[in-house]
This record gives sequence, C-alpha cells and structure tokens, in this order.
Amino acid sequence: MKLHIVNRAPDAGRAVEQALSAMTAEDRLLLIEDGVQGALPSQVDGFADIEGRLYALRDDLEARGLMGRHDERVKVVDVDGFVTLTEQAERTLSWY
Amino acid sequence: MRYAILLMGAPYSDQASHSALRFARAVLARGHQLETVFFYHDGVYNAARLAAPPQDEPHLVDGWITLNAEHGVALQVCIAAALRRGLMDEREASRHGKSGYSVEAPFELTGLGQLVDLGLNCDRLVTFAS
Repeated sequence: MKLHIVNRAPDAGRAVEQALSAMTAEDRLLLIEDGVQGALPSQVDGFADIEGRLYALRDDLEARGLMGRHDERVKVVDVDGFVTLTEQAERTLSWY
Repeated sequence: MRYAILLMGAPYSDQASHSALRFARAVLARGHQLETVFFYHDGVYNAARLAAPPQDEPHLVDGWITLNAEHGVALQVCIAAALRRGLMDEREASRHGKSGYSVEAPFELTGLGQLVDLGLNCDRLVTFAS
C-alpha cells in the first residue's frame, strides 16, 4: 500500500487527476494544504473511486475554516495521524 | 523508523516549508529517527543564514536549526540548486570570489547523490513541494 499526498485543490492543475490515475486498489490518498478543498461535499464526488481510502489533514482544514464542512466520507487525521499513515504505507508519493 | 524529508518549496512563498517542519516535528514526537532534511530547488532558501522574518512570524530557518541541535537532524542543501540562487557557504564564496556568504553550519552543501542515498537507505522519504 502506498500513500499519495496531494496539496493542490481539485481545480488547480492536474495533481488530483494524476494521483488518482496512479493509485492501485489498496492505496490511500491524503489531502493537505489547499488539497483539503477536495474534502468539501461539492468536490468529494471526484474521489468516488477511492471511497474509504480518502483522508484530509485536520490542521489544514481548520486553517481554511473548513473543519466541520467536509464530507463525512472523508477521514480526518491530525499531523500525528499523517505520520501514522506514512508508517503504514510502504512508500509515499507527493503530487503537486 | 528512519525518515527523511525532501523539501522543494521556498520559505514564506507557500505552505510547503511550514508543512515539512510540522511533519518533521511530528515524526520525532512519535519516536522515529529523522535522518535528514534535504533542501532542493527553491527549498534551498530555507538555508539562508540572513533570513530575518518579522518577530511575530515563525522563523523557519531557526526551526530547522533547532531540529539539528535537539535531534541531530542533518540539514543537507543541494549545492547546484544553492549556488545558482546565491546561496553558498564561506568556502564556496571564496572559491567564486564573493565577499559574503549566505549559508553556514549546521546547513551543509552537498550533492544530489545524497538524495539518492536517502531514497535508498531510509525507510520513508516524504516530499513537500510547491
């Protein structure tokens, strides 16, 4: 299992698209920085193929006033949880 | 586990440097070893010894230095990326006939081979970029 990390909003460039196309069936995706916009209910349908494997970083949601506005299908982790995800993955790939 | 971080974002331009520092602290807090932070592309500006941000803002350069002092984290700067951006230590400044220098220990100028080595020998290499 690999952890993909995306720091771009879905409408900014092709980072999300590229990450999704590179993911295999067990891989997970973590949204950080502006990437957390992908966790909004209006955006999350773009991640339908990886439901249950989509994460967003709490600090970056909070910094943008989006905590509590994210879709409930997105798993929210703090920075400690971010490290845990990297522990559980055999490697990480960053898309930016 | 042995971790390394690759940072390719300039300080204060976007969030990459802050994200990397935040992640570095969390890695150490969980008891892992953070071997190295490798600064590449615009990330090399994190090594500017003359950085003087406003006092009410996070001092990223000092943040890295603290990681080195308290946890022995190596701070490696790609020399090719650094020199072309005017970032060099005293030795390189002398070699290039410059009167000042902009990088000092604990930051060390090193080659890209070190990054390859980190990728091969660390358990996890996590990239933060702009």
